[in-house]
Amino acid sequence: MTTPIVEMRNIEKFYGRIHALRGVNLKVNPGEIVGLLGDNGAGKSTLIKVLSGAVPYTSGQIFIKGREVQLNSTNDAIANGVETIYQDSALVPQLSIARNLFLGRELRKGPRWMDRMDTAEMNRVASELLRRVGITKNIPPTTPISGLSGGERQAVAIARAMYFDSDIIILDEPTNNLGVAETQGVLNFVRDARDKGHACIFIAHNIHHVFQVCDRMVVMRMGTVAADDLTPKTSTIQDVENVITGEHLAA
Amino acid sequence: MTAEKTDAPAGAPPQQKRDFLRRLSATPELGPAILLVVMLVVFTAINPAFMSLNNISNALTFTVELGLIALGMTLLMTSGEFDLSVGSVFGFTAVVMWTLINSTALGMPLSFLIAMAVAMGIGAVNGIFVTRLKIPSFLVTLGMLLVVRGSALWLTSGFPQRTWDAGDQWLAEVLVGSFCIGGDGDFCTGGLRIYMSLIWFVLIALACHYTLTRSRFGNWIQATGGNPAAAKNRGVPTRTVKMVLFMLTSALAGLAGIISSIRVSAANPNSGTTYELEVIAMVVIGGTALMGGRGTIIGTVLGVLILRLMRNGIVLIGVPGLAYNIFIGAIILGMMALHSALERRHNEGT
Ligand SMILES: Nc1ncnc2c1ncn2[C@@H]1O[C@H](COP(=O)(O)OP(=O)(O)O)[C@@H](O)[C@H]1O
Ligand SMILES: [Mg+2]
Repeated sequence: MTTPIVEMRNIEKFYGRIHALRGVNLKVNPGEIVGLLGDNGAGKSTLIKVLSGAVPYTSGQIFIKGREVQLNSTNDAIANGVETIYQDSALVPQLSIARNLFLGRELRKGPRWMDRMDTAEMNRVASELLRRVGITKNIPPTTPISGLSGGERQAVAIARAMYFDSDIIILDEPTNNLGVAETQGVLNFVRDARDKGHACIFIAHNIHHVFQVCDRMVVMRMGTVAADDLTPKTSTIQDVENVITGEHLAA
Repeated sequence: MTAEKTDAPAGAPPQQKRDFLRRLSATPELGPAILLVVMLVVFTAINPAFMSLNNISNALTFTVELGLIALGMTLLMTSGEFDLSVGSVFGFTAVVMWTLINSTALGMPLSFLIAMAVAMGIGAVNGIFVTRLKIPSFLVTLGMLLVVRGSALWLTSGFPQRTWDAGDQWLAEVLVGSFCIGGDGDFCTGGLRIYMSLIWFVLIALACHYTLTRSRFGNWIQATGGNPAAAKNRGVPTRTVKMVLFMLTSALAGLAGIISSIRVSAANPNSGTTYELEVIAMVVIGGTALMGGRGTIIGTVLGVLILRLMRNGIVLIGVPGLAYNIFIGAIILGMMALHSALERRHNEGT
């Protein structure tokens, strides 16, 4: 058996009196796209924030590539190869594509005290990356993010996660508010990232989108994992919907 | 990606107009630059004395004192915060320095350093309240304005501090000494008198411009103001960024106050009153976004020149000085309308 990229064991999370995560176990294997599903308030975002170091967890263990880690900040998670792409807080609209790609990890040149960014190199890498991830339209790397469409922004965020050799990329509802063509583009990026060896956790409300790219689906309900062995091959959309709403228990 | 952005080329003239608007929205400095040129032309046409060396040198001297504060404020506002206490720090820092010089044996250089440290400490307290206690900078720095102004009045019992010892101090020469280009005599007749404070202003403006546009720290400043959550998620130390900028802004306000006190030979506890509003006006006229994310030092320098030359110019062309605020207010409203229209275009991504 291969070592999972990520293994979360018995994670508990309280927001004051609200018990948001109740003994959650989650495993993601190398090169796997896991769809994370569940109703509003099920605890998906909370689980993801724990894994990306954005919120502290109350108890439990997290292993990354078999090694136990303490994720106390987003920097800890990034250093451990966990890249998270949040819906609204992935990119800075006023900054250029290249400056966003390298935000927090800017390339520098010259003496340290000058703190000078190596803009030319950053732009060169950015345009190469844009070409490699298949943004075929000729967009210069100096374009501000505010000049891009929603799908292009997701593409830039995903390209950034791929560039920095992350082991696992977490996408929180990346297909929200996107048109049909743009959604297909983003789904292609996710497949592409997997083919290049990155595991993915993909949160989406739209089960159809999840079915199109995921190898496996994890369903959360009321702070627990209700099922983690559903696959698009063995389950129908109706089956998965039943697990999400809890109908399979009633039946 | 198949994002459709229809670039419909509908004949040459509309295309040209679009290009111009696009350039205008990509370079926020263009608006203020045009306004400045128009002002210079109009004032000079009405009264040629406006362009005289003597007048320019006079206008520039005072300009840099507010300009120094505006440089710090530009960086601070780009990071999404602002500081209303700068006017009071302007008055207080000079008072602290002169009180130390007059009543202790510390001497000017040491008193200068202590006063500057006090100014930076005030900025640090602003920063802690904003970044740690998460209180909006409007409230924090409004409170600080009152505390600092009150301290200046209490420390001096409301009286100006003696400053006549400044004359033979090397530090005073370094800060506000002057030299004469192409003129003669004590009054530099026919030449241009350049004060050291102008040199300092130019150097600090260049450093701020470099920092904002070329350095990694500048990238962090813009990210902190543009999308704080995204910046934090990328590991940018947004709190540290804001702390540093609050301290820098306060330090520059203190330096400006000290320079001013040496130049006018008075450290008045009331000096700098309402400077905060004039400085913020200068910064936003120049094209820096009030809500953060976008800032321009070039624009701020233009904004500083516009407001100061306006004050100077309308008096020279015979408008009563009391009407000054009408013009300033109108300029602020006009430039805000322009910038917000451009900002909207920019955000729409056209
Ligand atoms: N910052 C917070 N403070 C208090 N309660 C929270 C916070 N974030 C989420 N919760 C609560 O935790 C539970 C799980 O929420 P969340 O993880 O956002 O679910 P999902 O993303 O699946 O919709 C909900 O009951 C929600 O109200
Ligand atoms: Mg959620």
